Amino acid sequence: MTLSTINISDRDHQIAKLSSRAVALSLIEFFFPSPIPGVKPGIANIVILYTIFKFDLRMGIWVSIIRVFVTSIILGSFLSPTFFLSLSGALFSLLSLIIFKNLSPKFFSLISFSLIASLAHIIGQFVIVRLWIIPHDGIFYLLPIFILSAFIFGLVNALVTNKLLELNPKK
Amino acid sequence: MIKKILQSFKVAKAGDWLIIILFFALIIISMKLLWNLPQGQYLEIYKNNEILATYSLNQQITKTISGAKGETKITINNGKVRFSSAPCAKKYCIHQGWINKANQIILCIPNKISISILGSNKNYDSINY
Repeated sequence: MTLSTINISDRDHQIAKLSSRAVALSLIEFFFPSPIPGVKPGIANIVILYTIFKFDLRMGIWVSIIRVFVTSIILGSFLSPTFFLSLSGALFSLLSLIIFKNLSPKFFSLISFSLIASLAHIIGQFVIVRLWIIPHDGIFYLLPIFILSAFIFGLVNALVTNKLLELNPKK
Repeated sequence: MIKKILQSFKVAKAGDWLIIILFFALIIISMKLLWNLPQGQYLEIYKNNEILATYSLNQQITKTISGAKGETKITINNGKVRFSSAPCAKKYCIHQGWINKANQIILCIPNKISISILGSNKNYDSINY
């Protein structure tokens, strides 16, 4: 009989810790009522931004995807429309970060990346909504509200993450 | 508090301001493009959920319609329209004021009269969907 062993590195531990924090923030956010349906601050993204800037993008991708799956399983929305909305938002954000990762850090800080990712998140969700959940052009009427909220929360999340990074500088 | 928030913006670099400005422009452009409802062209008057009459909005005229409770006056004034008098108690229909954009409606439930504006072609709203 062969024993299969899984080597768990420090990096895996780090990913697990950060993912658990992201999941916790998602759950807190779930129980807060939102003034407009669909507009949410996305505070879990603070953890993901923090991960990307303190460690690297690959780790941020892991934390983001794990967060989407674990949160949906805990809330019981796995494979439901809510889950796919959240997944497509996360994938679009990550894709935008991968595309823009070579922006010079001399001119662009975390704020730019947060704003780009939050816009991509809204676009990703909107694609799913338009193609699948509400296949009607009437929803474009709501798009400016979502873009505005992406701007506000993208900015706020970036400033909070900056503060966190100041408190825990990169090693 | 406000000072602290402003201080946290100090980390923003030149590129960040560029992104912020672009984002802001995007918000304004999307509002302009997506919230620009077309001006209405025709007025439909409904009585008991049935179309009673259709008028052009490009005129100056007051129509009197007898509803379930009494007479309602509807005034058309060059592109806009309002309820100018109604027999209902709360007068919500009158307080709605003028409407002029396509797909806008005013209802007067007690008197069972409603008006709806049409653009040049009929758009559908979420209720129709």
